[in-house]
Formats: sequence, C-alpha cells, structure tokens
Amino acid sequence: MNLMADILINVIIAFLAGSLLLGLHRKIMARVQKRPGPPIVQHLIHSLKFFFKETAIPKTVSKVFYIGIVFILALIWIVGVIAGPVAHDSLLILFGVYAVYKIVEHNSGSSSGSPYGKLSCVRAVLSAATELPLFAAIVFVYLVTGTMNIGEIITYQSVHGPLIFTIPLAALMFFMLIITKSPYSPFAITKDKVLVSGFETEHFGLLRGFMLFSESIAWYVMLWVFLTIFFGPLTAVGYLIGMIVITFITGFINATTPILSPNHSVMTQITIGAICFFGTILMIFTGVVA
Amino acid sequence: MDSQKGLYIVLLALSTIAILACLVIDFDAWIVYAVAIFGIPLWILSLGLLTMAKPEPGDAEERVKEPFTGY
Repeated sequence: MNLMADILINVIIAFLAGSLLLGLHRKIMARVQKRPGPPIVQHLIHSLKFFFKETAIPKTVSKVFYIGIVFILALIWIVGVIAGPVAHDSLLILFGVYAVYKIVEHNSGSSSGSPYGKLSCVRAVLSAATELPLFAAIVFVYLVTGTMNIGEIITYQSVHGPLIFTIPLAALMFFMLIITKSPYSPFAITKDKVLVSGFETEHFGLLRGFMLFSESIAWYVMLWVFLTIFFGPLTAVGYLIGMIVITFITGFINATTPILSPNHSVMTQITIGAICFFGTILMIFTGVVA
Repeated sequence: MDSQKGLYIVLLALSTIAILACLVIDFDAWIVYAVAIFGIPLWILSLGLLTMAKPEPGDAEERVKEPFTGY
C-alpha cells in the first residue's frame, strides 16, 4: 500500500477509535457513579462540533505560541501513529513523543496568559514523575528483548510469549502512565477542576476541537503501544478487545478515585514506580526473568 | 477577503497538494513522513481556521476578554 495512504488510514482509525474509546470511558465513569452519562459518540461529536464554533483569541495570549502549541500537539501524535502502528519503529521515538507532550502541556498553559493555565503549566513540571516509570519500563523491555524496535519486540514475543508474563511490574509501570493520561485520572493534576480546565482553559472553539482530535489519537496510540509491547502479536480483534478492557478498567478506577493533591500524586507515582523498578531488577537478577 | 483568510486558504491548498502528491507519487519514505507530520496537522488547522465562526463585530471586544483570564 502507498505509504501516505497507510498513514492517513491509521490516523483516521486512531482518531475515530480514540474518540469512541474516550466516549466509552466517560460512559463507564457515569454508570459507575449511577448517572446515565452522555452517549458514547459524544466525544467524537464534540471534536467535530468545535471546528464550527465561534472562536476568538484572548487579549492576554502569546498569539503565535498559543496557536502553534496546538499544532505541535497534533504533530507529535501524528509522529506517534507513524512510529507505532505504521512503521513499528523505535520505542525511543514514542518516549520522545511523551517528552514533547510534557513541553506542550507546559507551554500551552504558559502561552495562554491565564493564571489557571500558568498554574497548570507549573504542575506539568511536577507531573513529569509519570514519564520516569515509562522510561524505566522501556529500559526493561530492552534488557529482556535486546531491542527497542517495536517490530522486533513483536517477533520476540511470538517466539517467547507475551512480555506481560515476563516483566509484569514493568507493564504495571506503563499501565500507571495510561491511568495518569486518562480523563479524570486521580493523577491528572494539570487538569484539576480548581484550575478550570488547566492548560486547556483558554483554548476554546476550534483550538479545543483540534486538541480533542490530538487527545483521541494520543489515547489510541498509548493503548496500542501498551498492548503491542506487553501482549505480543495481536489481531485487530485482539487490539479492539484489549483497548475496550483497558478503557473499562481506567474508567472504573477514575470513577471511584478522587483526584489527588499534586504532592500526593507525585509521591504515589514515584512510590509505585520505585517498587516496580526494584521488583523488576530483583526478578532479573534472581533469574525469574529468563 | 482579509489577508488572514487568504493565508489560511494558501496553507490549506499547499497541504492538500502535498498530501495528494504523496498519495499519487511514490516518494522516498522520509519525504512522505515529513509531509504527513507537518501536512496533516496543517491541513486540519487551516481548514478549522476557515470553518470556525467569528464573533459579531459588536461582540468581538467582549470575546477577547472572555472568559477565564482572571485579569
């Protein structure tokens, strides 16, 4: 297939699947909290609807940066789709995507000129505690498989079995990242309701629709990477079931867990990350991991 | 037509042509990746800037002060 056609199809699948999964996430949270909740397609409809909504650029923003950062957010997740589902390339590229995503969170808040956005941008620095366990998880995948290439990791698992059974604590570290990035997460300190919508507060109308588009792709890519590097070669049905199950689990956790204060959030993430990190090292050196 | 709208149309046309060219012609992979990474977000952004509703002239001043700046 033509490479551009492959990329476009994957981007569209990522957007549609990501939007519906985020809609499902919201529905699950509502049902757990005994509310009817919005329809599952609501997130998708919102993303498209905002492109036609009235949009104005507030006086306090840094205009080029304010629009540019939304462009960069979409750009990095297109890179995520290419490095993941399209090219099966290096995990380091995806780690780079998360590093830049942190910068986007930070600069989206600071470019807005809003005190809520700025406070959220400060919290984005604190919440870098999420990316450390992600990096550790990637290192452990490398230590076990001897490669960072997603295609080769899939091949390794087709021979030796899924990595979830070999390094479960590394998978748990990655899963913590998924919980952190899921909507209404207990660790979502950058979007705490006391900050209105955090770093997204001043991005409304078209720009919010563009952000929702990127976030849908981000959710899909994150679940795709987790399923691919820990559950081995999967069929399209396998991915679909896996993504729905993870969305269900995160929806249940987020519906029943209040958002933590920033210091508690960071300490919880670092504590879980440290336990999983040293636990995996112990497993490797005691020979539990082959 | 104001200059901003003209710029958005040019950006939309450029990104559309670049994406279509990659669909029709088999360029090197790095060229296709570059076009996809910059072209797809640019296409969506420029299309959105054209489709978005603008505030009424009388409301424009009020809108840019809205809503959460806190100043």
